[in-house]
Amino acid sequence: MADNLDDILRRAADTKVPRRSFLAAAGLLGGSAALAACSTGSTGGATTAPAASGAASAGASAGTDASAAPAGDVEKQLFMYNWSDYTSPKNIDAFKAKFGVEKFQYDTYANNEELLAKLQAGASGYDIAAPTAEYVPSMVEGGYIQKLDWSRIPNQKYINAAFKGLAWDPNDEYQLPKDFGTTGILYRSKVVKEPVTTWQEFYDLIVGKYSGKTVFVDSMGDIFVMPLKMLGKSINSVEPADLDAARDILLKLAPHILALDSDTYQDKLASEEAVLCLGWTGPIVELRENPDTADIAYSVPTDGTLFWLDTWVMLNDAPNPNAAYAFLNFIHEPEVQAEETNFNGYGTPNDEAKKFIDPEILNDPVFFPPEDAMANLEGAVDTSSNEQRIDIWQEFKSAIGG
Amino acid sequence: MATAVQTPEEAKGIRGRGSSALLTTALIFPAGLWYVLLLVAPLIIVTIFSFGNRAKNGGYEAAFTFDNYVRLLTQTQRMEPFFTSLWMAVAGTIGCLLVGLPLAYFIATRATRHKGLFILLLVIPFWTSFLIRTYAWLIVLGRENVGGFIGSLIGDADFRILGTPAAVLVGLVYGYLPLMVFPLYVTLERMDRTLVEASKDLGAGRWATFRQITLPIALPGLITGSILVFIPMMGEYVIPQILGYGRTFLVGNALVDAFIQTRNWPFGSAMAVLLILVMLITITFYVWFVNRGRHGREVSVL
Repeated sequence: MADNLDDILRRAADTKVPRRSFLAAAGLLGGSAALAACSTGSTGGATTAPAASGAASAGASAGTDASAAPAGDVEKQLFMYNWSDYTSPKNIDAFKAKFGVEKFQYDTYANNEELLAKLQAGASGYDIAAPTAEYVPSMVEGGYIQKLDWSRIPNQKYINAAFKGLAWDPNDEYQLPKDFGTTGILYRSKVVKEPVTTWQEFYDLIVGKYSGKTVFVDSMGDIFVMPLKMLGKSINSVEPADLDAARDILLKLAPHILALDSDTYQDKLASEEAVLCLGWTGPIVELRENPDTADIAYSVPTDGTLFWLDTWVMLNDAPNPNAAYAFLNFIHEPEVQAEETNFNGYGTPNDEAKKFIDPEILNDPVFFPPEDAMANLEGAVDTSSNEQRIDIWQEFKSAIGG
Repeated sequence: MATAVQTPEEAKGIRGRGSSALLTTALIFPAGLWYVLLLVAPLIIVTIFSFGNRAKNGGYEAAFTFDNYVRLLTQTQRMEPFFTSLWMAVAGTIGCLLVGLPLAYFIATRATRHKGLFILLLVIPFWTSFLIRTYAWLIVLGRENVGGFIGSLIGDADFRILGTPAAVLVGLVYGYLPLMVFPLYVTLERMDRTLVEASKDLGAGRWATFRQITLPIALPGLITGSILVFIPMMGEYVIPQILGYGRTFLVGNALVDAFIQTRNWPFGSAMAVLLILVMLITITFYVWFVNRGRHGREVSVL
């Protein structure tokens, strides 16, 4: 029986929070023990930013010497601002041992907005962060991150060409790809026997046989993927006519949706209250480990979907630039990178690392989409300022309850 | 008119008052500073922001425009969360009252020796995170427990409580009940019991005694309690998200969307200002209504 408090609390305390979970931030509201425990591996909440030391050395390090070797004069400390459970503690320990770094501060944020807000507020005191690529242009414009010196990150050569020269950073100046994933369809394969390989098939099941048994993640950008791809449009379309058509589809879906939930959708899938879900791959590994929910399956719609790319960036006022470069290069050592994939459960853009990854993982669409789906992936551009999208989103949300 | 000449006693008195006023000022200063920095200043900032524009990459850009308010007030999908919040908060306050008044009355008047125990039982849940308590309701109301039980009673296998406004209401009443019980308890505890006995001696029935003695005495606590639960309920975010499955879309949820998903701080600020106005108007009306009733009753007693 998956549905008891012990289980939920254990899950909350022990396991990884979905990468984009918002309620992790809501721990602020309750001072929740369980959610505090979610950020295990961090040395505390995001509130323990080393702002003082950062502010002190921010000015001094603004124009760093670019000529130092990767493993040059590495500082004794590194301040990282990252999603929770997103870098393997084993790798962190190995890094500390290799470069003699004594203090490795790993602070966490629950979403890109939190990271952005911190940077907008002034000197953050952090060296490196891992925003989603669609936020990188804003960070460049705001002057929060610095250009990377690739001569100090030779391991960049392992990055697959598909992850270079992307619209977010067309000249590959600022971002070092970290890992990527897709938005797709999670389903309980022991209940759902019908094929769900396209958005249209998914749509038919939601409004038909599995009405009231579908969860959508509470994320505007991801929800628009489905109607726009059904219409054969770009996921980033802001054409009024496209969005009007997408609105019709969303409003037809609304009465059939069980929940809009980015935080506990794995629980709803586990209890079979929901059998279909438009969501992210994050919770799948954990659901599979439980024999009751091992039938969880994931499909990357072949008519195209969104892929997100998280990237390493170096902050403008990084107090420890040498340690930062050492880390960025270290993390893309093939074996180190393979451990990252094993740990956080997201696909790596590092080709060489694949040699050290379990073939079962390599052939798993959860981590690495099949070739035909891969070809139709589209990177998300930040469209959150489009008024029409926002209006449709609000209308959709109100329609779900009504 | 008093003479301009001060007697020594008067002068001393004034000086005494002067230094005590200084002392009072000094004592109030930290609290005053707290009040200005953490209450007045944020309110002013929110109000200023509400007239601004969304910066290109989200956030706030200085401007003076009424666009945010116009958009808010003219689009039905923008106003809907306000109406949903309003009725949920009113229903939740009534629910707290229906549960809280008998409970407070019981603890104050009947639980003679165990008073402390009952108060403790009310307080203990506060030692646990609000989030965990809300998660616990997921199980209580779930299909394997209360939800499924009711479903089997009415013979509907698909019956659900979770994800409905009813679940949100249960969560609201549960979450804020102590804030209603304590003020009520304090007023009822101090109630002069001889008044009740006198009322009975004079031939009033239970209901008449309650209506004419207990209720008027409990009224200050009732007003305080209602306001204490109503305000946070209007801005509630976590309960509709967890127990309501994100299907009951309240102002709190709309605010999170504005600040986090669309990063439109000015629009979110306009929503926050409107929310404050709605609460002010509702509470003013409520206090006026209740006090008016009390005044009328006093007159009738006379």
